[in-house]
Amino acid sequence: MQSITWTCLYENSILQGTSSLSGILELDGLTRRFDAVKALDSLSFSVPSGQVVGFLGPNGAGKTTAMRAIFGLTDLDSGSVRWNSALVGPAERRRFGYMPEERGLYPNMLVAEELEYLGRLHGMGTAGAAAATKLWLERLDVADRASSKVETLSHGNQQRVQLAAALVHDPEVLVLDEPLAGLDPTGIDVIGQVLVEQARAGRCVLFSSHQLDQVEDLCESVAIIDHGRLVVSGTVDELATKGARRLAIRIEGDRQGEWTQAIPGVTVSEIQGGEIRLVLDDSAKSDAILDAARSAGRVTKFVFERRRLSEVFREAVSR
Amino acid sequence: MKPAPFVIAAIVVVGIIRLGMRRRRGSSRSSMPRVTARGHDRRLFGDTGLVAGREIRERLRGRVFRVITAILFVAVAAAIVIPSLRGGTTQSQRVGVVAGSPQLSTELSSLARSAGLSVYVVSESNLAQARADLSAGRIDMALDGTNAIIVENPISATDTSSGARFVRDVSVAVGEQHAFALAALTSQQTAVLAGAKPLPIESIKPGKVRKTTSETTAMLGVILIFIVLNQYLAWTLMGVMEEKASRVVEVLLATVRPIQLLAGKVIGIGVVALAQAAGLVVFALVLGTAVGSSLVKGTAPLVVAATLLWLVLGYAFYSWVYAAAGSMAERQDQVQSLALPLSVPLILGYIVSLIGVSSGNASLLVKVLAYIPPTAPFAMPTLVGFGDATWWEFLLSVVLSIACTIFVALFAARIYRTAVLRTGGRVRFRQLTLTSKK
Repeated sequence: MQSITWTCLYENSILQGTSSLSGILELDGLTRRFDAVKALDSLSFSVPSGQVVGFLGPNGAGKTTAMRAIFGLTDLDSGSVRWNSALVGPAERRRFGYMPEERGLYPNMLVAEELEYLGRLHGMGTAGAAAATKLWLERLDVADRASSKVETLSHGNQQRVQLAAALVHDPEVLVLDEPLAGLDPTGIDVIGQVLVEQARAGRCVLFSSHQLDQVEDLCESVAIIDHGRLVVSGTVDELATKGARRLAIRIEGDRQGEWTQAIPGVTVSEIQGGEIRLVLDDSAKSDAILDAARSAGRVTKFVFERRRLSEVFREAVSR
Repeated sequence: MKPAPFVIAAIVVVGIIRLGMRRRRGSSRSSMPRVTARGHDRRLFGDTGLVAGREIRERLRGRVFRVITAILFVAVAAAIVIPSLRGGTTQSQRVGVVAGSPQLSTELSSLARSAGLSVYVVSESNLAQARADLSAGRIDMALDGTNAIIVENPISATDTSSGARFVRDVSVAVGEQHAFALAALTSQQTAVLAGAKPLPIESIKPGKVRKTTSETTAMLGVILIFIVLNQYLAWTLMGVMEEKASRVVEVLLATVRPIQLLAGKVIGIGVVALAQAAGLVVFALVLGTAVGSSLVKGTAPLVVAATLLWLVLGYAFYSWVYAAAGSMAERQDQVQSLALPLSVPLILGYIVSLIGVSSGNASLLVKVLAYIPPTAPFAMPTLVGFGDATWWEFLLSVVLSIACTIFVALFAARIYRTAVLRTGGRVRFRQLTLTSKK
């Protein structure tokens, strides 16, 4: 039932031509200085439609400033934000949805009225805003709180309402600053699903997070920044397989991994709990490694590993 | 006592409160699962209109508004009804006359007419009977021939009610008649003496006749302006601060321009303020007319119009300042330290005008303050109440105020734009000038 109404909503928006369903959001050379600190330093990357892009970086790296810059909420010293190669201005921003880091709703307004109001501010008609509000509250499992005051909701429910506020006008671009922070696993699942759905429907989705495991599950690609500069970007797959191959091996009874010393092109990166992790350079032959392993004992694990996003992140921001 | 004014008063109060309670009717229609085309809706004033609309809805719905409105209406009703209750419960005076004559009865009638009363003469057989009737409340005063007037309670010299005036008039007139009779004057001589007029008093400075009713109306107007401005400016200040504190301003400014958000708030709260003040004034006029209060006589309606106009101008001037101040704070204590200096000109204008209006003389200070925009909303209606402002003086003050408001609004919008998105402690003026230069 719910999926039917969803299809309707999307079809409607497509029929009305309100969503081009293809586009690209580009951040180009954003630079912003606060006194002595460079919050953004020639930051450039782009968010293509149809993708969930994770925006990562340590605290104070400039993620929030970059997101605020997309909405003109912070002045830029230089650089520009473009949507489909046009400079982003008030008209474009009406088609964007934003969930700020510190959240922000009128605490004493009723949930449904608040969402309708925000929908109307984004250019919706009264009936359209009301219908979309209803749909989103149902989709995010907070329909029963529609006529409660926002301040009476739990943290998790407020977060869902905040997401609904970013989505109510059916935006083409979604920019969410830490939408998963402080949520329980169910909340993370619901919001994560919505983000993926939105990308599938052709929206640009950019969200920042410190929960790298979730980012890895949800995102097609990531942009990692540090000190206001882009340090790594690319698809999650690329990043996971990029660089030296990595091998995890477990051999019964072997705790030291001495057998690896004779093999050319192999470095031990970690030995933990009877498992040994090797980094292979181009000259290393996996056959030779397997042979050496078998001669050392019974091999119970021999797996080429993808790099975890957390490793990519740590490498990228290590100073 | 006529019940009509009270019924009207009650209906108006209930009506206002009902208006405030009209809620959620619009949103309950939202069950229609239909997405309509965007932008086809009537949006009279664009985003600013939407912001103002929200402000009006939320304010009318608030309990604070309803309670304050109810209190104000009750206060206005009391201010109008109580004096007329004290003064003129007896629209007709019953006079017990001992040893009367048809001549005396005619005299009493004409005196009563000039005091705005009708008279009912009761013949008393003797003084004891008259006293008995008076203490039983069957008559309002007893006239013992040409000897004395007896009333129930002493009448103070400052009592200006029509009843008191009538008693004083009768005491003078009957005394004179008695003197004429003793002097055995001819009826012609009597007429000449009775027609004696005091000498006109001229002053070397051209002046106008002081109309005390206008002055009283001006005083009530000044008090109304002060109360309404204080209440609604506090709302503007707190409203902006709360939007900043709750960070909802980030969400709003992601789609609305700062000036639209600022103007929407100022206009929305202004509409509520004006509606409340206009409601109070209409209520006061209706009630005043119904009970025959002196507040609605003479040039008082002009003063009422001036009061409402200056309420609007005063709000327009101050609201921008208060909104800008609100954008610099994000906590209650910060707001208080900002609000105090802002309210100084407001209080100055109010107190000086109030002192002027109650002393019955527009001081030079009032005349000066009437042309300074922050104090003009109080001083100018006061001058109008005294009849001391010519039309061009009034217009000059209005133009000055509007020009100054435009200047202040532009400056405030600039502060607002920079300060409202700047979090982490109170924003200092120094920071604003640094950023706005860039």
